[in-house]
Amino acid sequence: MRIGVFICHCGSNIGGTVDCAKVAEIARGFPDVVYADDPMYTCAEPGQAAIEAAIHEHRLDGVVVASCTPRMHEPTFRRTVERAGLNRYMFEMANIREHVSWIGRDKEANTNKAAELVRLAVEKLRNNKPLAAKSFDVTKKVLVIGGGVAGIQAALDCADGGVPVILVEREATIGGKMAKLDKTFPTVDCSACILGPKMVDVAQHPNITLYAYSEVEDISGYVGNFTVKIRKRATYVDWSKCTGCGACTEKCPSKKTPDAFNEFTGPTTAITIAFPQAIPKKAVINAAHCRQFVKGKCGVCAKICPTGAISYDMQDEIVTEEVGSIVAATGYDLMDWTVYEEYGGGRYPDVITSLQYERIMSASGPTGGHIVRPSDGREPQKVVFIQCVGSRDRSVGRPYCSGFCCMYTAKQAVLTKDHIPNSQSYVFYMDIRAPGKMYDEFTRRAVEEYGTEYIRGRVSSIYPDGNGQYVVMGVDTLLGEPVEIRADLVVLAVGIEASKGSPQLAEKLRISYDHYGFFMESHVKLKPVETNTAGVFLAGVCQGAKDIPASVAQGSAAAAKVLALFARDKLESDPQIAQVDIRRCVNCGKCIRCCPFGAIKEVEIRGEGKAQVIETVCQGCGLCTATCPQGAIQLSHATDNQILAEVNALCQC
Amino acid sequence: MKFAYYPGCSAKGSSADYEKSTQAVCAALGIHLEELPGWNCCGSTPAHAVDTELSAALCARNLDIAAREQAETVLTPCPSCLSNLRHAAKRMENPQFRARVDELLDTPAAAHFPEVTSVMQGIARVYDANAIAAQVKKSLKGVRLAAYYGCLMSRPPEVMDFGDPENPTLMESLLSACGAEMVDFPLKTACCGASFGIPERVMTARNSGRILELATQLGVDAVVVACPLCQMNLDLRQKQAAKEADAFFRMPVLYFTQMMGLAFGIAPEHLGLEKLRVSADELLRKIDGAQAGEGDR
Amino acid sequence: MPVLKGKELRIVGFLCNWCSYGGADTAGVARAGQPTDLRIIRVPCSGRVDPLFIVKALLNGADGVLVSGCHPRDCHYAAGNFYARRRLEVLKQFLPVLGIDDRRFEYTWVSASEGQRWQQVVTVFTERIHKLGPAPRLEDAEPLLKMADMALTSLRPLGTGQTAALDQLKEAIKAKLPELECVIGWQQGYDGAHTVPLFMKTPEDVDKLIWGPFNVNNPAVYLPSFKGKKVGIVVKGCDSRSVVELLQENLIRREDVTIFALPCEGTLDMARVNQTLGRYSKIDKVTYDEAGVTITADGKEHRFCMTDCAQGKCYGCTTPMAVLADMRAGQPVKVEPGSRTPPELALLDSMSLEERMAFWRGQMERCLRCYACRNACPMCVCRDFCVSDSRDPHWMSQEDSTREKLFFQTIHALHLAGRCTGCGECQRACPVGIPILALRQQIARAVGQLFDDYKAGLNPTAVPPLLGYELEEKNIHERDWK
Repeated sequence: MRIGVFICHCGSNIGGTVDCAKVAEIARGFPDVVYADDPMYTCAEPGQAAIEAAIHEHRLDGVVVASCTPRMHEPTFRRTVERAGLNRYMFEMANIREHVSWIGRDKEANTNKAAELVRLAVEKLRNNKPLAAKSFDVTKKVLVIGGGVAGIQAALDCADGGVPVILVEREATIGGKMAKLDKTFPTVDCSACILGPKMVDVAQHPNITLYAYSEVEDISGYVGNFTVKIRKRATYVDWSKCTGCGACTEKCPSKKTPDAFNEFTGPTTAITIAFPQAIPKKAVINAAHCRQFVKGKCGVCAKICPTGAISYDMQDEIVTEEVGSIVAATGYDLMDWTVYEEYGGGRYPDVITSLQYERIMSASGPTGGHIVRPSDGREPQKVVFIQCVGSRDRSVGRPYCSGFCCMYTAKQAVLTKDHIPNSQSYVFYMDIRAPGKMYDEFTRRAVEEYGTEYIRGRVSSIYPDGNGQYVVMGVDTLLGEPVEIRADLVVLAVGIEASKGSPQLAEKLRISYDHYGFFMESHVKLKPVETNTAGVFLAGVCQGAKDIPASVAQGSAAAAKVLALFARDKLESDPQIAQVDIRRCVNCGKCIRCCPFGAIKEVEIRGEGKAQVIETVCQGCGLCTATCPQGAIQLSHATDNQILAEVNALCQC
Repeated sequence: MKFAYYPGCSAKGSSADYEKSTQAVCAALGIHLEELPGWNCCGSTPAHAVDTELSAALCARNLDIAAREQAETVLTPCPSCLSNLRHAAKRMENPQFRARVDELLDTPAAAHFPEVTSVMQGIARVYDANAIAAQVKKSLKGVRLAAYYGCLMSRPPEVMDFGDPENPTLMESLLSACGAEMVDFPLKTACCGASFGIPERVMTARNSGRILELATQLGVDAVVVACPLCQMNLDLRQKQAAKEADAFFRMPVLYFTQMMGLAFGIAPEHLGLEKLRVSADELLRKIDGAQAGEGDR
Repeated sequence: MPVLKGKELRIVGFLCNWCSYGGADTAGVARAGQPTDLRIIRVPCSGRVDPLFIVKALLNGADGVLVSGCHPRDCHYAAGNFYARRRLEVLKQFLPVLGIDDRRFEYTWVSASEGQRWQQVVTVFTERIHKLGPAPRLEDAEPLLKMADMALTSLRPLGTGQTAALDQLKEAIKAKLPELECVIGWQQGYDGAHTVPLFMKTPEDVDKLIWGPFNVNNPAVYLPSFKGKKVGIVVKGCDSRSVVELLQENLIRREDVTIFALPCEGTLDMARVNQTLGRYSKIDKVTYDEAGVTITADGKEHRFCMTDCAQGKCYGCTTPMAVLADMRAGQPVKVEPGSRTPPELALLDSMSLEERMAFWRGQMERCLRCYACRNACPMCVCRDFCVSDSRDPHWMSQEDSTREKLFFQTIHALHLAGRCTGCGECQRACPVGIPILALRQQIARAVGQLFDDYKAGLNPTAVPPLLGYELEEKNIHERDWK
């Protein structure tokens, strides 16, 4: 082979603590190395041009670049060598920045280590073989998981782009958390009024198939060709017949059913339509509270339904869809704030969550938009808002900021004053985080125009004073004094966490998630929509706390990614997949048994059973290679010989 | 059942009634408390605030005595003693800290200390609610009580191991077993003012007043405590608190051992009830009345 | 390239591309200073790390090896790290039998966001290796030769099997013979004290079948070469476990094999027999009694009592009767509950790490590299494609060094992890009598201890532990990096 080696200085990033010229000099002594240089910035245009020139001039058939992590620039340099006519897999990188210059102080040790890592790369490269990608068809259909505002936006943008969309929503209606909000900041316009039309668009768009009250059961396949199993949960109402007239909900005798849509601020009926603007506007029976199911007799809704849509013996149904891409937009849930025993741990009826307060303020809520206390129905005069309940609090394992609570708390204080002009609101805050367009101005308005009293400090305890009020004891850290307020109502800005079931969904999607269940993006700054699994994109709060405009923007961004992916008719498969040497294969099936993707099957070749890799399904993990005692199945680009070459380069007694 | 016992200084003075009732209740339950020979003060409030090593040395000496007595568990009635002993044991897990403390002692402390826990937890460990109920001779039925733990018993949680630091419930379960009606007392872990009774009299009176006010509001017959200092602040300083709160209180403040003792049919004089500043006579009449009522039926 | 003398030790890391390599990058971006010893090899997944890479490194000069992957449940490939966890744990428990300190190998989980954790892991591991110092080299060890003490009590009665229902079995074989290509068994060899394989095709062949303590070899080794043909096989209990294992691994088909079984009363350790007989020109006579055999060689009588001279594996045998058979003759044998540490393994258990390395140094110097161990192993099915003499993959050089020989034994042992039934054919076949079975026994012991007392070759439908995983492993615990 004729190998060229380029030791990048990366300005002073590497050059500062590694003697790059010396590394290049050492590299010239490595087997098959015919050229070595130490450019200042290899990834810059002149640097890449120098590589191309060297390939031509020195007839190189392999290139090693020692610079930053291959997770950053491997694709860049692969394109570079490809431009000069080499196969892109005849290239290796040595990571001498993140793994050497940035972590070691000793220049001699760093230089020696850098040279060794270059040696590893050279030895690996000497065992490399040109690999060719194969192309395969793309199913131009997208699955959007979650029908909150982010998912709605992603679905609408994809559908407008001509892509058929499967939208799966766990609840009976789309709309997500935004549908529960009364008004939105900073404009204080009606949430249902701005979201409603979008929801209707979803229902009416010819390219969108909506599965509400459904969940993703299983996902298999790979970018361009995912197979998705969707569980349509039994609603006990035949939606093809239901007109959403609501007659059943009026007559249903089970009037004390807990109302999840209203955050349990009031009861509902066992057969219910979540709210007037629900999409789809169809009834669902809550079997746990329905007399027909619990006691075995009732049947009122079946009698009353004018279209005969009630079906008590309905079963869950599994449907299968083929899609080419997936957008996860599963949103968030509130953390379980009852761990705060000092706030009553959920025992005090008038200590409520901000989302419950939204429902109480909402005209479609249980009180018809009148702000009253859950305990006695009285209108509160003094309302205390406590921010950061379960945010930025390491004592309950929630070190992160939930992002949008400062803003909605200000909004709720403003709305409280609008609803009850003689009321007084207090906000306990840690810091005001209002870094959006017109956001800070809005919080100022809450203070200056609406007289909201902002108190910087935490609340140590809340207790009922026995006279129907609650004593809120806190501290004003600006004045350095304890504060005590007798409140009629306490609203907690409860911190968020990823929605229930997120880790399980992440495992189905094969994407990473953090300790709190939020999905991990591919790169914090540069790939905030992508995941590490090709073809799976993120939108909205499932990736991390964000407000409505940011969620909508990310929904559109995810749609753009999907449309870009589908702009091609064929995708290239990664050739770094396993290959079977059929002479060595004894068909023992060990590889088939442990392949996590079902990418290996048994075939008959000349009357003998052999393992065969399904190229488009193989993800290239190499588990099979480590499993096969015969060494009969080798992962291309990470073969036994390639790794052994690296081991041998390091360990030669 | 036998436990090593560390009474603490206040048991020999200001809270002699706590000591008396603890001994009486434990005797009734067949729990033998073996007082540590030659124990010394745990350092109380001041020591650890001034010097943690000196404070730990005071405690380590007591723990060392317990270790040499081959005790497995040491019980103490006082939350402050409990806190100091447990903190010292925890800090002594650090070898450097232990070495410095050993310097202060005549002989290095034992390598392993016995566990220290409260009398309340000790009782609960041996007797479950049914077993306690079986001991009851005079049910507290019809008596409304507020359990007040004070700020120290459950905090800090990583040292004290006393259930939820904001909402402990052990006292409620013991007294419910005796028949009492326990109210949800939100201020159960609030501070009474503690040792600020002298330097910050007003603040202490306010803190105690808040507790007494809520208890009065909730219509309880007595506040039940587990801490000598709480008892003193709530009982002895009740008038000061009333003055500060511009209210009138007549709230008996009893130790949980005194309440349990009454339920076990132990005579009030054997429980030190005469030491109460705010008389518990009405409460006693109520208990006796309930008994009479029971008898009628 | 050598390490920086006095400054660094040779530490090799295998990091998965998605989590740990990213974690190391994150540490770099955060300028989280670390010792410079570690050299990182990037692999797609911790599941890609063949434990043999690690042994290869450790035998060839590495002072420490670190593997790091995604946290369990967070694998980019869904389950690669679950498999890795099992295999690497087995390896960790195996290394000491070679005389390698298992603290020199560690595996852990670091996510792409855990730069700080990575810094901690590298720092702690490097400190640990520096504390251990440079790893002892096999070549530097003073050869040590020690013999295993075979005196043991067995879990079941040992005897010569002369009262076995052999005639009944022969009738059964004859009855079945027309349907079969052949039936594999034993016949007398060149004298009464040796047997050779018998391939019965006619009723006359069946009459040659013998049963007794000289039936040492495992006829299951021939089965895979008959794949697709109907054959019969006569088995001892231990042989039947090999058959079961072959069935489990899809190397033979159940409908093709007819198994004939007699209760085994133990077989003789021919190495010890030959040692006692010494040099002789002719075996005159072999007579059996209930408890042993008397061999007359060159006119001199030697008595061998079964309880003293059985193969090591026979003492701990709990399956004297075949675990799977189509035709069984004779009565079941009573087996005491319990287990025995096999004598070869007990010998190694009694040694220090240094002694073990010296022991293998001495033993491997005697190895001829004849591969009789491999050829006798019923589970070695690669035959012409054994990695020992393959160039792709090129695991071993042809260099005649103790290191390469020991590495071959390790390859064999690790390839048998969770598969070895302990039949002992490798050791029996060794012409120079190296107790190589101990390596397989250590693997089997580790597998049994980690995975619910799993034993290979008992159940043809069991999921072998190294081809499966649990989300939470009962007996594998995450290590602390404080």
